[in-house]
Parts: sequence; structure tokens; C-alpha cells
Amino acid sequence: MRPSLQRHRSVLDFALSSLLRRKGRNLALTAVYTLVVFVLASLVFFVQALKHEARELLEHAPDMVVQRMVAGRHDPMPASQVEAIREIRGVEEAEARIWGYYYDPVYGGNLTVMASQDPTLAPGSAWIGRGVARNMRVAEGDMVPLRGYDGLPILFTIQKVLAEDSELVAADLVVLAPTDVRALFNLPEGLATDLAVRAGNPRELATIASKIVEKFPDARPILKAEMLRTYEAAFDWRGGLMVVVLASAILSFIIFAWDKATGLSAEERKEIGILKSIGWESGDVLLLKFWEGAVVSLAAFLGGVLLAYGHVFFFSATLFEHALKGWSVLFPRFRLIPALDAYQITVLFFLTVLPYTAATLVPCWRAAMADPDSAMRS
Amino acid sequence: MTRPYPSLLVALLLALTPSLRAGAPPASAKGLVPKGSCAVCGMHVPKFPEWAAVVIFQDGGQAWFDGPKDLFTYLQDLKRYAPKRRAQDITTIQVKDYYTLKHIDARKAFFVLGSDVMGPMGKELVPFAGEPQARDFLKDHRGQKILPFQEITPATMKGLE
Repeated sequence: MRPSLQRHRSVLDFALSSLLRRKGRNLALTAVYTLVVFVLASLVFFVQALKHEARELLEHAPDMVVQRMVAGRHDPMPASQVEAIREIRGVEEAEARIWGYYYDPVYGGNLTVMASQDPTLAPGSAWIGRGVARNMRVAEGDMVPLRGYDGLPILFTIQKVLAEDSELVAADLVVLAPTDVRALFNLPEGLATDLAVRAGNPRELATIASKIVEKFPDARPILKAEMLRTYEAAFDWRGGLMVVVLASAILSFIIFAWDKATGLSAEERKEIGILKSIGWESGDVLLLKFWEGAVVSLAAFLGGVLLAYGHVFFFSATLFEHALKGWSVLFPRFRLIPALDAYQITVLFFLTVLPYTAATLVPCWRAAMADPDSAMRS
Repeated sequence: MTRPYPSLLVALLLALTPSLRAGAPPASAKGLVPKGSCAVCGMHVPKFPEWAAVVIFQDGGQAWFDGPKDLFTYLQDLKRYAPKRRAQDITTIQVKDYYTLKHIDARKAFFVLGSDVMGPMGKELVPFAGEPQARDFLKDHRGQKILPFQEITPATMKGLE
């Protein structure tokens, strides 16, 4: 082994045994440290995973959605406008969408009812999300009654339960044939809820949007990028709320760690003095203290991150899902898809490990510089 | 003793699979995938897929560009950028139609100059499959001129610098 590596190994050995000598103090420190990293990492992972999910969700969303505004509110629009919008240069595809929300009084949940032009979906049958199937306790082939606008129930046969991979979106989804959605909501023929527009070149979206407003002044085009920003802002806002709540916990940790790390006890001062008097150099003492700090903070960092990973991706962030996800009754019971970002981990690392290591080094440097004789005497 | 190394074998297989999957892109215009760096300015072409232009030679060689402007710079001074190539060896020149982002034959395309749409290298010759599209674009984006492929000369390029 190379001598420099050998030296590091010996110092590390010494650091570990010196940590073990003050077992209680160091274990308490590592435990609290781990807890803080765990909470912070859980938060970062969770918000990150939600954003990832939203981005996936919007991947298949149309580039632009056009709504009609009446008296400042969203109103059904003439489906014929699709033709005019399709003629705008740069529009690749435009489609009238029919959808709405349905409140189910029996289960107390809100459903999203959507029309699909899919020819395999016959009138009278429905595709439902897994969340709906779970809440209504139905399976493929069962009949589900939905109350129409006039209060009379309409029966639908469940043809398919939608796949789980997109549960955050599809959880509350009911897909029906267009005629059924019109019958359910009393939406007259020729009206659509909104229009979905796809552009050949996303760069042209702004131009297309301004042309649509020019043609139909009561239309409101919403770009995909705006939707994405709104989602991200919503998740960030909730994440921020949690940070405020956690701020006190983190602050108390910082005070605790600062106190533990910076205040050298008389015993430690003496130890440094002895080490120097038996021939250790200041550099060796610093290396020793660096390894002590590194062992504590790395152990806490790894432990905290691993715990947070398990918490978020295996237990769906049970500790703070209610604060972060939403308050809909029909809650998707989904497992987040692990979406780790090297950038996030690095930020977390620099926020937790680096300050601690730095905080331990400064007082040791001062002690190591001192005269060993006076250090031992004090 | 000849002991087989299963882990080594698996690693070798794993290392080989991506190259098998990627394969060589077909030379046909449909399967064209932007790659490499621009033959004129050296910028990374896959970063700007919506502007990518390509020249294909008889022997299957390709030269990619990060925009039609560099394509024309190349074509007008082939001696400097590709001393070993001759203009007669060029079989296909493709640019991407601005509205559909699909590859089109550059020799039949129309280019709009002086618009407010900027390419990776600033002012661009924005390509279109047909003249009506180019006219609409000219109106929407305050373009100055529509030129077919043949009318783009070194003098035209001067105005784009």
C-alpha cells in the first residue's frame, strides 16, 4: 500500500476508535443528524417525484388548450371552431374535447368524466381508473350507475379498468363515449368543453395563440408550458410550506450541531496536546478531526438519504402526504416512481455534510496550532 | 485450469447490446437522425434538431449543419469545408420545414430572410416546403424576402452575418 494511503488508513482507524470512546455523545449526534437529513431528503425526493409525475402526465397533454370565456368564466364552446383553428398555419392537429367533473354522492368523491373517440368504446360502456374501481368496489363487467343532469341514473358497463402506471392522473378517470357524456351532462350537440391543439413546431405556439384570440376574442388559449409552470409552482408552494414548518427543527439541529462540533471539551484539548507532544503534526491532528467529522456526517447523510428513499418510494411518504398531495377524497394510492436527480443529492450533500465538517475543523485547527505544553496544562 | 467466467461473459454481452440496438441509421431521408457537429461552425447538431440540415453524398457520407445558414455557407465554399468532396457528388440536401419540422428537399424549398425567428447561429434562412407557407410566415414574423434555393447567393449570405 502506498505510504500516504497507509497514513490515511491509520488516522481513520484512530478516528474510529476515538469516536467509539465517546460512544453516547457521537451516537446521539449521528441520530439527530440522520433525522434531519432524512426529513430534508424526504421532502426533496417527494417534491421531485411529484414534479416528475406531473411532467410525465403533461408529456401527452396537448401543446395548447383553448377554452371559451363567458363573463370571466370557462364555458362550453362551439365545436365548429375546430375547423377555423385547424386552418391556422402551423397547427398540426386540433380536436374538440368533451369532459367534465362528476360528484359521486355515494362515495363522496369527484370523478373526471371524459369522452373518447376510440371506436372500441361502445356507447353504454365505460373505462374507469383504478381508484374509481377501488372506491366503488367494481371490476370489469360490472354495471355502474351515474346520475344524469336530471337526477335519473344512467347505467354503464365497465369494459376496462385503466392501467396503474399513471394512477395519479387516471385514479379518478371515467371514460365514456361522446354521446354518453353529452347525455350525462346535458351538453348539446355541437358544443365542446374545450379544444386541444397540437402544433408542428412548438416555437409557433405563441403565434398560433395570438391568431386564435384574434379570430375568437372570447377564447383563452392555455399553453402546455404554462400548465407545467402552474403544476411546478403548486408543488413548490406545498414543499415550501413544509420547509417553513420544518425550519424550526432544522434550526435547532444547526444550533445543536454547532454546539457539539465547535466547542472542544477540555478533555479533547488535552488529547490534542498529548498527540502533539508524542510527535503528531498539526496536519495529522487536523486529518484526524476531519475523518471524525467525515465519518459522523457521511454516516448520517447515507443513513438519512436511504431512509428517505424508502419512506418516499416504498411507503409513499406516509409522514407528510396529506400536507403535500391534496385533499381530494378519492385519493390515489400510488407508489411514486423513483426519480432521483444527481443535482438534488449534491445540493443535499453540500447543505448537510460540508457545513458540519467545516464547523468541526476550525476549532481543531486552533487547538492544533496551540502549544502542546499549554494545551495539556489547561 | 480453464474456468469459465460467467460474470465476464455477461459484462461483455451487456457492453455489446447497445451497439447492436443502435445499429447504423438508414441512409434514407426518413430515418435521418441529426448527429455529430456542424461541418461549418462545429456546434453540436442534435442540440438543435428543429434546425438540422444535411448534405448526403454518393458514397453515403453525411455532413450535418445546425441550420440552413451554415448549409449554404458550406455549399458555396465546398473547397474550404470539404476539400475532398465535389459538388457533383451530392445526392440529397435536406432541411427541416419550419411548420412541420419534417425533412424536406432543400432544392425545392423556399427560404424566408430577415424574420424575427432566430436560429442557433442568429439570423437564419427559415425553410418551408411551399411558397404559401413561406408567405404566411413572412407576414407573421416580419420577414423581408422569400427566396427559392437557387437564388441564395454569397451576397444573400452577407446580409445574415
